[in-house]
Amino acid sequence: MNTVKLYIRSMSMLIKSQLQYPLSFFMQTIAQLIMEGGEMMAVILIVNRFEEVQEWTGGDLFFFFGMMSVSFYLTELFGRGITGDFPSMVRSGRLDTFLVRPRGVLTQVICGGVDPRRITCIAVGVAALVMGSRMSAILWTPLKVLALTESIAMSCLLIMGLFMIEAIFCIHSVKSVELVNALTYGGRSACQYPIDIYPRPLRMLFTVIAPFALTLHVPAAWILGKPLYGLPTWTAFVTPLSGIVVFVLMTFLFHRGIRFYRSTGS
Amino acid sequence: MRAYLVVFRMRLLMELQYRGAMIGGILCQMFFGLVLTALYRALYAGHPQSVPIEHVVSYVWLQQAFFRMLLATDPDLLDKIRSGNIAYDMCRPVNMYWFYYARIAAQKLMGSLMRGVPMLMVAALLPKGWGLTLPDSPLGLLAAILSLVPGFFCMCALENVTMGFTMRTLDPRGIQSMLNLLMMTFSGNILPLTLFPDSWQRVITLLPYAQLLDAPIRLYTGEYAVTEAFHIIPVQALWAGLLIMLGTGIWKANRKRMIVQGG
Amino acid sequence: MSFIEVDDLKKSFIVRKKREKGKLFREKQTVEALKGVSFEVEKGDLVGYIGPNGAGKSTTVKILSGILTPDGGEASVGGRVPWQDRKEYVKHIGVVFGQRSQLWWDVPIIDSYSLLKDIYKISKSDYESRLKELSEALQLEELMRTPLRLLSLGQRMRAELCGSLLHRPELLFLDEPTIGLDAVSKLALRDFLKWENREYGTTIMLTTHDMEDIAALCSRVMVLGHGKKLFDGKLPDLLEKFDTIRTVSVKYETDDPVLDMPESVKTGRNGDEIVITYSPKEFPTPELLKALQNAGKIREMTLQPENIDHLIASMYKEMDL
Repeated sequence: MNTVKLYIRSMSMLIKSQLQYPLSFFMQTIAQLIMEGGEMMAVILIVNRFEEVQEWTGGDLFFFFGMMSVSFYLTELFGRGITGDFPSMVRSGRLDTFLVRPRGVLTQVICGGVDPRRITCIAVGVAALVMGSRMSAILWTPLKVLALTESIAMSCLLIMGLFMIEAIFCIHSVKSVELVNALTYGGRSACQYPIDIYPRPLRMLFTVIAPFALTLHVPAAWILGKPLYGLPTWTAFVTPLSGIVVFVLMTFLFHRGIRFYRSTGS
Repeated sequence: MRAYLVVFRMRLLMELQYRGAMIGGILCQMFFGLVLTALYRALYAGHPQSVPIEHVVSYVWLQQAFFRMLLATDPDLLDKIRSGNIAYDMCRPVNMYWFYYARIAAQKLMGSLMRGVPMLMVAALLPKGWGLTLPDSPLGLLAAILSLVPGFFCMCALENVTMGFTMRTLDPRGIQSMLNLLMMTFSGNILPLTLFPDSWQRVITLLPYAQLLDAPIRLYTGEYAVTEAFHIIPVQALWAGLLIMLGTGIWKANRKRMIVQGG
Repeated sequence: MSFIEVDDLKKSFIVRKKREKGKLFREKQTVEALKGVSFEVEKGDLVGYIGPNGAGKSTTVKILSGILTPDGGEASVGGRVPWQDRKEYVKHIGVVFGQRSQLWWDVPIIDSYSLLKDIYKISKSDYESRLKELSEALQLEELMRTPLRLLSLGQRMRAELCGSLLHRPELLFLDEPTIGLDAVSKLALRDFLKWENREYGTTIMLTTHDMEDIAALCSRVMVLGHGKKLFDGKLPDLLEKFDTIRTVSVKYETDDPVLDMPESVKTGRNGDEIVITYSPKEFPTPELLKALQNAGKIREMTLQPENIDHLIASMYKEMDL
């Protein structure tokens, strides 16, 4: 409980400090809006030109895009400490400061960054979700809302877990961090479309290693009323839990990484 | 002139140092290329377009290979701007615009050659329909390479305009991400310009962003006939000239401002 | 049993060298930062820890504050091992790194303190009374609502100290606390540290390059070099031990004075000045003066000022650091 309180207080303080530069903050928020708007425009143009892909309609494509966008930017908003600021925390020695405080390092890292500018990206994602839901004429039931919420929450944990690989690389001072981007940013770009349009190796990658297919595509397919890749309905509620599995695994590896840091002092 | 060549050479050598990051970068860019190829192939299945899929796939690979030409932010320079140390550079007895132009050019050239050449070799080896196809004709290849030169000058000039703008604001992130987005969208990196609605294309292909990679790529795939190079290269040169003029203007104004404000 | 006990502490780092030409991978090199350092500190002591850059001072502080795990040796602070059960251990210590901040840059410092209260789980009443006391002692009352970034360097260091003492640590580490401060701020800081040490019996261990800090604060000083402890004792003893070499500059009326000196005295020229370096133990000062006067008519003579920094520099030189 105390940790939650600490997190909320840290967030409010960080937001307060970002608002110290209102003009820059405003500009960047707008820039984010245009950026994600540009991504969405690409989807709109694709739908405009191709109308559908395999059995997925334009509405379905918007829905997938919206789910990915909301999950990805919620993670960036609340988990900035992991998704963006971690390398600078190591370089500037803030990680050392965290180590002399009686709290978990990961807790402090996550409490150490927030990116409220992403709110506009999330808004674009929500717009895409609404648009997709209308066009695909989704009949919302409480169960479907639950599935959507669970899916987004679990995708957030998954994305966080994937970004933690980057943090672990950073602790071990591995230089080829860009490779991890293939999983994080590459995962976002690839998995904002239905997974079954991809060839088998890519599908396997996003089912086993970075299981977006399980956290996002299975429940989304169920919400859109598609046959669940041949799976029974309850799986739409079980497969997303793989997100938490990845997160827990990566948390474990992160702490091992910190132990390594403490014995090498990178 | 010598000073600028020295900067250019130093920067080339510096880029060569980052081999570890380069391999990671190549693999990441390859991955993006594969994902996009798979996407367009799936979209094309059942919905053939006037532009053949092979062209789109080649477009994707060439865009990914030369990604470093589009976006290669120079963190040193950004730090200098943020900390105000740029003032020291401004006092050097060389023309700062060309000093940084040389720096940017070296960075872009080396970065994209080091990453692009190995990537294109792998992409050419991929199975048919997945990889880079051969150019439409030897003349087309020649025209593409020729038009890459003014395209490259144009791109460096554009980046230097961004730098000039960046220096005017204390916190450059906002303006920079916006200009970068324009670059990514209208250069065809997010979605090949050939897949934009035809009416849009007529305007977009005239913008400076399209001169960078889009025009050379289309000459390569044969989208543009070889003879069209005679229209394209003058347009590219015109933009390069205009952007260099704009850039030198901004840098001159910046310099004045900095002297007035005392750094 | 002493409060801090350090026995044969060892730590080495692996540093990757720059890649040499023609080699595919960079070679690794092991640097021994600490080669077996031992000492004890009693509760309530104020200890200075000096040595040239790269001697292993920061490594020691990092190990004792639980940031690093040593490769060998033992250490305990108040009966706890710093690198085991980190969260429990760090409740009892405070750390101030001179060149990095633990407070939040853009918010009023009072907000930073209130977040630290949550981080350290300090009760409300304890927090309020400590904050009141510390802000008085550090003269921070007026600055509470000012963001850290608007404070001067001296004010900032005071704010950092307040932040690191809110949880009433038994042991305080200061890593170059006076770096970059002006004279007034330095004096104020030293006064505060003395007060804190006297009032609460807080054990303080500080690393510094400023010998005035040591002279003003520390009853005991340890010198570290090349990862080894070279001296441990009182500052005057250290000075006496190394106050061996002095320098005198002399100008003569005549152009070419003939100096007749024993071999232990080194002479050199600096323009029309003659620079003489000697050791009073080997050649007593009165005799040197006699020898100087015999050589001709002296126009001007300066003795290098007795500066602690000078002494330390010559000490480092003598110890081959």
